This record gives sequence, structure tokens and C-alpha cells, in this order.
Amino acid sequence: MSGRVRTRIDRGTGEIVAYSDAAVRNNMAVIEYCRTSMAALSGATAGMLGLTGLYGFLFFFLAGLVLWVMLLLKAGSKWQQYFVSRKSLLTSGLFSGLFTYILCWTFLYGMVHVY
Amino acid sequence: MAVIWPKLIFIFGILSLFHAGYSAAQHRTYMRVTEQEFISLPTDIVVQGLLSLVLTMYGILHIAGDFKEIRANVQLQNKSWENVGNRPMFYTFAHRGRALSPNYVAPQSKNSLDGMESIAS
Repeated sequence: MSGRVRTRIDRGTGEIVAYSDAAVRNNMAVIEYCRTSMAALSGATAGMLGLTGLYGFLFFFLAGLVLWVMLLLKAGSKWQQYFVSRKSLLTSGLFSGLFTYILCWTFLYGMVHVY
Repeated sequence: MAVIWPKLIFIFGILSLFHAGYSAAQHRTYMRVTEQEFISLPTDIVVQGLLSLVLTMYGILHIAGDFKEIRANVQLQNKSWENVGNRPMFYTFAHRGRALSPNYVAPQSKNSLDGMESIAS
């Protein structure tokens, strides 16, 4: 119960919901950790599989979708306890991982398929 | 014991991914040495790579830590008024109930009664 509390009006019921700021930040940090790891690992896999061009980017978005599903599975049926919205869980910070992905992708592609 | 499993899964996934990459590189070299045209990787290497990616992500999801409850008032919702409205500073022990005690000695003189009243009022 430490830290600030942020309020927000729920669109469905019109009630005011108070969110604990520290808990929201903790969840965001967990998601960011998973997202960075997923970008690096899926980049390594894409380079290993020898994907080139648009297939590689397609693989990145596919990996993001898989990560989203895994996060929702981890949260379970009561995801509203942990996240404000499910859609922002999928889209937030998606493109910040793209550069990590490209780095690992090109590195592993060069290691496996070029040399 | 419950904490060490995700790490083992993670290490196993990383090793499997590395092994799949090494297999892919070796297949590439084999194709080059035997002067065949490289079309695509064998299916088992592709499947191993994808499976080990999923396995590693499963490990990372559990290493990353647990989610916390973000709704601030959810702990307060289950508490009764006796818990929330408890004010220890306002407890009163010197009340008239002590007259029910068998050890109670009633004040005799009128002066002491006057003293009690002046305290009470």
C-alpha cells in the first residue's frame, strides 16, 4: 500500500477505480523484461532459421503475439487484477523491441548462414 | 524447489536453441561441401528451434517475477468496520464497570467522590 494512488473512471460501470502506482510500475517492469528477452530470443531464432526480408518481420510480430498469449496465460482468468487493459499489453513497447530483434537476427544469420 | 524449475527450463531451452543453431550451420556447411543447392533447413531443426524458443520464453516468464494487484482498495474491501475504525487512543479503562469487580473498594469520604466528579466532568 505504499506509494501514490492513481484513480481512473471505469468506462463500463462508471465507477472510480483506484490503482496503486507502485504495483502498476512493478507489472510494467515485468512485462518490459519479458518483451526484451522475447525480442532477443526470437531474433536469434529467426537468424538461425535463415529468415530473410519480410518473413523476418512477420516472425517478429508472430513472436509478439505468442508473448501476449503467454502473458495472459500467466495472468490467468483474473487479468483485470494485474492490467488496466489487455490491448495495451499487446501494443505497448512493441516497436522498441524491434531494434533488439534486428540486431540478434542479423548477428545469428551471419553466424549460421554466411560464415 | 519451486523456484529452481524455471531456471532449469530456461537453461535447457538456451542449450537446445544453441544446438539447433549449430545443426543449421553444420547442415549449411555440408550442403556447401557436397556442392548441393541450399533450399531450406531440415524440418527437425526448424521444429527444434521453434520449440526451444517457446520453452525459453516459458522459463523467462517465470523468472521475471509475479504480477502485483494493481487495484489499491481491494484489500480494504474485505475489512469490517471494527477493523478499520479501531482507535486505540480512545480506549477507556477507568469506567464504571470496575465497580463490578470483587476487589473493588468503594470510595468512602465525600472528598474523594468530589475528586472523582471533578475528574469526570
